[in-house]
Amino acid sequence: MSAAEHLPAGRGGRREAPGGGNPSHKTAFSHLFFWFLFANGGGLAALVLPVHILVQGILGPLKLAPVVDQHYDTWVSIVGNPIVKLYILVLVALSFFHFAHRLRYLLVDFGVKAAKSLPAQAIFYGGAVVVTAATIWILLTTAPLF
Amino acid sequence: MPANWWTRNRRYFLYTVREFTALPMALWLLWLLYDIKSAGSGAANFQPPRSAAFVAFSAVCFLFATYHSYTFLKLAGVIMHVKVLDKTVPPRAIVLTMFGLWAVASIVIGAVLIGFAR
Repeated sequence: MSAAEHLPAGRGGRREAPGGGNPSHKTAFSHLFFWFLFANGGGLAALVLPVHILVQGILGPLKLAPVVDQHYDTWVSIVGNPIVKLYILVLVALSFFHFAHRLRYLLVDFGVKAAKSLPAQAIFYGGAVVVTAATIWILLTTAPLF
Repeated sequence: MPANWWTRNRRYFLYTVREFTALPMALWLLWLLYDIKSAGSGAANFQPPRSAAFVAFSAVCFLFATYHSYTFLKLAGVIMHVKVLDKTVPPRAIVLTMFGLWAVASIVIGAVLIGFAR
């Protein structure tokens, strides 16, 4: 498989920069910002999501291992930790921007031309922003710091 | 382009699967947020996730998440160009480092999730 097929630009490197229409009209900073979100979202999800799913989604519920979210007191205690809150916020915010970009272009690849439109961009990337805002609200109101 | 272009070639099929991994991972992260939110409902109303359906859902998500990790980290050697002492680090070394990071991150997070449980 060629390297170009693996690049975020998709098959043959056709993809635009996330959040952009024509990359030639974007500033270098804009490119840097959006590719930072996309690449780090994908990288962070790649590094940490499988172990979260394995431990919290499989081992804990099957009682193959004791897991923090299986008991109220341990779960509240760890969720109340400010470092954990920051970690979850970064994980969700970056990952959802990555997911939004991948899913939008998957629709483009399936021939859904509307997925390239401005409303589609607003829906996908706006969705990532909404999820990020909801995460901030959940983290601030659940096991509050103060 | 025909609608079934992605089924006509193994590479295209794997590419599509790779892009699709975003959906199950997003759904699982949404569930994690719900799980966190449930901690705010008080001890009496707290329901830890234990159903068979949830385990099955997580198992499917785990397969997709692992495939995302494998494909994304394998890319590191292509998209990252690192120089040490004016010498370019070989792509293979970068990929091995990324997979090593994956192992370390998994051990650390697994240790926290299990070690802080009672």
